Amino acid sequence: MDSDRVVDVEDLRFTYGSGRYALDGISFGISKGEVFGFLGRNGAGKTTTIKVLTTLARPASGKATVLGHDVRHGGKALRSKIGVVLQEESFDFTTVEKSLDIYGVMWRIQKKERERKIEELLSFFELEDARKKRMWDLSGGQKRRVQVAREFMHDMELLFLDEPTVGLDTITRRKILDMVNEKTKDGLTVFFTTHNLEEADYICDRIAIIDSGRILANDTVSALKRSYSGYKTVEASFSHDGADVDGMLASIPNIRIERPVNSGEPFKLIGPEAEETVKLIIEKSTKNGIRLEWLNIHPVTLEEVFLKAVGAAES
Amino acid sequence: MDISNSIRLAKRNILVNTDPGTLVFLLMMPTLYLVFMGYMFGSLIGGIAVGSSKIAYMNFLSPGIVSFQTLTAGAVAGGMLWSDRRYGMFEQILSCPYSRAEYLLGIMFTTIALAIFGAIIMIIISSLLIGGITFGLAGLGIIMLNLIVGSIFWGAFLLALAAISKSNQMYNSIQVIILFFASFASTVFYPISGSTPAALRYTVALNPLTYIADTVRDGYISLFNGSLIVDELILLFATIVMFMIALLSYRTIKIGVK
Repeated sequence: MDSDRVVDVEDLRFTYGSGRYALDGISFGISKGEVFGFLGRNGAGKTTTIKVLTTLARPASGKATVLGHDVRHGGKALRSKIGVVLQEESFDFTTVEKSLDIYGVMWRIQKKERERKIEELLSFFELEDARKKRMWDLSGGQKRRVQVAREFMHDMELLFLDEPTVGLDTITRRKILDMVNEKTKDGLTVFFTTHNLEEADYICDRIAIIDSGRILANDTVSALKRSYSGYKTVEASFSHDGADVDGMLASIPNIRIERPVNSGEPFKLIGPEAEETVKLIIEKSTKNGIRLEWLNIHPVTLEEVFLKAVGAAES
Repeated sequence: MDISNSIRLAKRNILVNTDPGTLVFLLMMPTLYLVFMGYMFGSLIGGIAVGSSKIAYMNFLSPGIVSFQTLTAGAVAGGMLWSDRRYGMFEQILSCPYSRAEYLLGIMFTTIALAIFGAIIMIIISSLLIGGITFGLAGLGIIMLNLIVGSIFWGAFLLALAAISKSNQMYNSIQVIILFFASFASTVFYPISGSTPAALRYTVALNPLTYIADTVRDGYISLFNGSLIVDELILLFATIVMFMIALLSYRTIKIGVK
């Protein structure tokens, strides 16, 4: 095993007893300091994977080690090094401030340090006004913020975040992601599941796509985009007044042209060298007296990668 | 298993659960029983025979109410497990460096602490109503022992109920019935005599709260005889069996499974 490897999973299987495997022989590894994204539809196996890796559920077969501990036998030693933000709501019937404090007590954090951390987290997660509010009086988004904040009461080497930003507004979501990013600079490794592909694109170094308990793809974000989408799309609109736009675009090599179906839509030029295509469009439109109204390189999105990977698996 | 982890969890349980609602449940109801039943029945009943002596009804009721604290503390314990399951903290705690056994022991410690706390308050209130209560060191030892064993019994009983309950309503409804049944089908409020209908006599004899109440009462009046030893043995046996049942039910709680 790579000494830098924090999580090592090999042919892991898990069943809820119905005969069908919720995890059907998955294998992957996570290196120290990495933000590892786990993408998948509802019921794909994301949460089950987290529960097995955090020792909350016992695998049927296969091997999984987390921070050097086997998930079957690691138990408390493993859990003392990790933080877990579960997908399901979890809270004590008390105030926000007391809830953070009690969690700190459970993690053996000294009183002074608890007080310092509580102030820091309440301020960062913008919960100062809610500090004396009882948990059940909070909105869904506030409860989620407390749940994420609570996990930062203690130090850890690996943080499991199971859809941590569900129900949060854009600004808070971005703040949480930035905080996670910041912590990875200090060596924290993050296992992150989400439905939101934009945030996965924003935060993850590497991504695995899981569907029906099987991993369909596992690579760096840029490599996945390259291998699944291949080409970037250049979008261009022209004001032509009878000029031969089609002829001009046909003279650009190595591209596939998708003509606009409705008026106002741009041409789509798909090819391996988007930057070169842009250069040629500008040159040729200027030379042919065609006014270029709008030009854009449309980046490959993770959503396209995801849909292609899942679509390929289904077909 | 690390006992300090269970103590830490007991601290957490007390911090989370000592809200006014819990304290009212734990202290208000027994206090009302003590005041209303003590004065109402006390004025009607001349005295009650315990062993070879005859004592005033309030002196009979006071140890009964003290033993009743094991039942209310047990109900709070079951409520803790139910609430932790319902609101996700059971799973969250088990994702921290705590084992299931430590969690269970944490709840048991909390139950014992709440029962002893409740008992002390009841002794103080009784003392004010009666005009002073004295018991010897051995008597105090007997009372403490039975408060601990009794709270483990009721804690385990209601924990098992919380573990198998499918809904909050189910748990609460059954718990209220058990609380009512166990307290009135026992010797907490009144003694059992030869004129008590046989069915009730057997029911009371099968109720562990009867043995807790009788032994605490023996501790109150320093009545140490063969009957005390028999009661202690029956109570210990019942507690061990109930603890095993609770353990089995508790182990069936599946986490990480939807």
